[in-house]
Amino acid sequence: MLAEMASEPGPDTVAAAPPAAAAASTRALSCPACGGAIEVRAAGYTVTIVCRYCSSVIDVANPEARLITKYEEAVQELEIPLGARGTLRGVEWEVIGYLRRSEHGSYGWEEYLLFNPYYGYRWVITNGRGWSFGEMLTRAPDWGVGGPALDGQSYNPFFSNGQAQVDYVLGEFYWRVKVGEEVATDDYVRPGWMLSREANESEISWTLSALLDPAEMEGAFGIIAPRDAWPPLPHQPSPYARPLKAAAKIGAIAALLLIVLAFAFGGSTLLYDNNLPVTFDGQTRTQTLGPITVTRPWQMVAIRADAGNIDNAWVDLDYTLVDRATQETYESYGLAEHYSGSDSDGPWEEGSRDTTAKVAMVPAGTYDLVVEYSGNLWTSSSYSYGGGGYGGDVRISVSQGLVFPSNVIIALVLLLLPLLFLFLRHIRFEKARQGESDVGATGLAGAFSGSDDDDDSGTDFSDMFSTADD
Amino acid sequence: MLKVSCPNCGAEVSFRSPALPSRVCDYCQTILVRSGGGIEAMGKAAVLPFDVSPVMMGMRGTFDNKSFEVIGRVRWGWTDGSWNEWLLLFNDGSAAWLGEAMGQFMLTRERAIGELTDPAIRKLIDGEEVPVGTEIGLDGELLIVSDAREVTCLAAEGELPFSAPAGWTVFSVDFRSTSGRCASLQRESGTTSFYDGRYVTLDELAPGGMRAMEGWALPAYAR
Repeated sequence: MLAEMASEPGPDTVAAAPPAAAAASTRALSCPACGGAIEVRAAGYTVTIVCRYCSSVIDVANPEARLITKYEEAVQELEIPLGARGTLRGVEWEVIGYLRRSEHGSYGWEEYLLFNPYYGYRWVITNGRGWSFGEMLTRAPDWGVGGPALDGQSYNPFFSNGQAQVDYVLGEFYWRVKVGEEVATDDYVRPGWMLSREANESEISWTLSALLDPAEMEGAFGIIAPRDAWPPLPHQPSPYARPLKAAAKIGAIAALLLIVLAFAFGGSTLLYDNNLPVTFDGQTRTQTLGPITVTRPWQMVAIRADAGNIDNAWVDLDYTLVDRATQETYESYGLAEHYSGSDSDGPWEEGSRDTTAKVAMVPAGTYDLVVEYSGNLWTSSSYSYGGGGYGGDVRISVSQGLVFPSNVIIALVLLLLPLLFLFLRHIRFEKARQGESDVGATGLAGAFSGSDDDDDSGTDFSDMFSTADD
Repeated sequence: MLKVSCPNCGAEVSFRSPALPSRVCDYCQTILVRSGGGIEAMGKAAVLPFDVSPVMMGMRGTFDNKSFEVIGRVRWGWTDGSWNEWLLLFNDGSAAWLGEAMGQFMLTRERAIGELTDPAIRKLIDGEEVPVGTEIGLDGELLIVSDAREVTCLAAEGELPFSAPAGWTVFSVDFRSTSGRCASLQRESGTTSFYDGRYVTLDELAPGGMRAMEGWALPAYAR
């Protein structure tokens, strides 16, 4: 039945459109109340106009403009005047309407309606601390885990069960906008983006807003946009999130490397052990132990002396490692001691029976260990060399490559310090950002908050790095 | 293609398809209807109110890999506003409507009433009403009734599947899904039509021959 038009509509079937002069893009109107000249900038879409001279509400749903409510009020001066144009995200927009809204009079915010005949409507929205660029969606998000999801991105609940009312209107709108009209609102966020649901009895609409960089608004409309909002905006990304991630990555790699290196080059190997007989007579004896061979280019050599179960006695030990080939020497010393007794406070004991001396940076080679040592007895009244009997053996063990664990720990702390700093700043930012949320702190900020989310006393540990910005 | 002279002003007017038996004379705005072998004049169409739609007669584009041309328009109004329905004629001979409201576009095609089984839709076809918010199933997808109201034809131009005199009133019901699918049902004295489609952007239609408007640069996506 459609065979007659099987051919593609081509230039032969339609007169080619003349290179027509561009059509007018506004409709002129006189305000039925004050007679002021009004331009309808979105003619065909616009339903309601609030006169920019007298605030009267005019119905333009039908070809003849009709006065709905007459006012003789001076209009408010707007930060961005109606009719202003600006380019945002590559498209030029004209400001055609302005709404001031609030939650029953508090938490006020402003919305400017933007229009481009080829791209439709957008919004720029501000609460005085920053600007967002919103577009009404033609679909609804899916419901993900704990919040809506759109294009694979999930959003966290932020404001719930709000009631937004219109407090002031100026310019033109594609619906019958009225001061006092209310919608139920819910807002969901992810860093840089807000997803807003508005519902009345007959309609649900979703708007997706992108947080604008202040420079974008300044470049587009020549205003001065607020910076460094505090508290942050609900959808403001934490400036610490990215450096924190980077620092965590680098820190983890560095810490891992450090630990691997410490083990690879610090694994402890027993090279030699032997017993030295000790006599508690205060006489210095010398014993040469060895040979001890170390093979790495450089290593630390640890010499441990364990004096068994001596009591009220000490053993002084002086070590000299002598390279058999070069006669190069490396010196260290140790002291093994133990004391015990009883006084008015009861029994006591102190001292350590084993001691480890460390010699750093010993080059490869074969060494003798020369030990000069003396055993001494101590009594509560005086030194005593008397008795001077055999005091048992001191076991000397030599090992290589023992790590200085304290050094590794200091290095780890130094590595993690910037991470901790960034982490605490991030938590503080997230807590402040979520301070106004109806669902309370979530995520990391939730994990690090007490029951008093709104506590601003500054005693919280995440305020440790507070700066002058609050 | 049928080319005839307008019985009112004598200008040449063309009818591209028997499926589009009505048209408005481009020169004198007389509504013309094909009947039998002849052409009947049905009075004058109303003047289209001024708007800033970026679409105009003759605009071309592509959808589902098929090219189309805009050949007709009906302007509908209701108590709280008005919108355009542009008629698209595709190169395979099929037609679709490009609805334009609130700066957004919906592309829908007519479906046979007989293949609609949803009880709420059947109710509407039978002349009853269903409340806004009613859920319907369409090819396994859930849609809800987003709007139901009387709408009135304000004006028309070009070729159309029906004559659209100003003041012609029909009962119209809109359906939306969460995925961007949309449908509408129009009912008038026992006759029901059903249209099914989805939201589109002008960008994805790769339009050529868009309307130029003073003070506005044509968009980057225009061909």
